[in-house]
Amino acid sequence: MASLISCPHCGARPKEEFTIKGAVLSRPAADAGHQAWTDYVYLRDNPRGTHREYWHHTSGCRRWLVVTRDTVSHEVGFCQDAAAAKLAEVRP
Amino acid sequence: MSDFRITLRPALGSAPRPASRGLSITAMPEGHVVQVLGRPHTPDLFGVLERATGAAHRSVRAAGPGQWFIVGDAPLSRDEFAALSTALQPHATAVDQSHGRVRIRVEGTIVERMLAKGTAVDLDPGAFPVGTSAMTLLGHVSVHLTRIEIAAFEVMVLRGFAESLWEDLVRMSVEFA
Ligand SMILES: [Zn+2]
Repeated sequence: MASLISCPHCGARPKEEFTIKGAVLSRPAADAGHQAWTDYVYLRDNPRGTHREYWHHTSGCRRWLVVTRDTVSHEVGFCQDAAAAKLAEVRP
Repeated sequence: MSDFRITLRPALGSAPRPASRGLSITAMPEGHVVQVLGRPHTPDLFGVLERATGAAHRSVRAAGPGQWFIVGDAPLSRDEFAALSTALQPHATAVDQSHGRVRIRVEGTIVERMLAKGTAVDLDPGAFPVGTSAMTLLGHVSVHLTRIEIAAFEVMVLRGFAESLWEDLVRMSVEFA
């Protein structure tokens, strides 16, 4: 398990200060079908390797982050504020 | 109307004094603590905060992006809080937390070594100079740390955790007695 997360606001902090909020998925449109919503709410991949997750810095700055980590090597890659990640998203 | 009168008792009134000679732990006056939440996408508000706090004996403490605490030793009257709140509009919202957060002063030449038992924040004066603040975990308790002097920190904690944190700090100091 990754033990130090480099919060873009607070610097390196132990994982105990964070709450893991799950995989970063794009939310289906409100009127998307039943299957799309079932996938979004319940179905998860169990990736081997790079994984993008939401982490909440609960006992720190209280910001939502997007953390890229490797589920094999436990290496923590890029950590970004979730609001900044959303702004950087390419929109159609 | 109720006969029951609400009396404000200090959160750490009956806390035992630590035995350590190298470190002192003291309850700071329960004056005021105002939480400030900035509007999203507002540029740096530090100037607005400095003006709003004015010359009064208050300090502004950073608490994450768009979040601050304004603290002071004297209680804040209703009018003073209203004035402060108005001065921050429309950039930020002030929430009076004076009843809900307690400040503890820890002081001593080896104070960083004691605090390092509970937090992973780098407290070296080079990385964490006077005036720097951080929200962090101290053991299992969420606190707001500020270096207020070269060898003194303010530890701000939710009132209900104050006694428990005090006991932790005393235990963390024992080896430096
Ligand atoms: Zn953070």
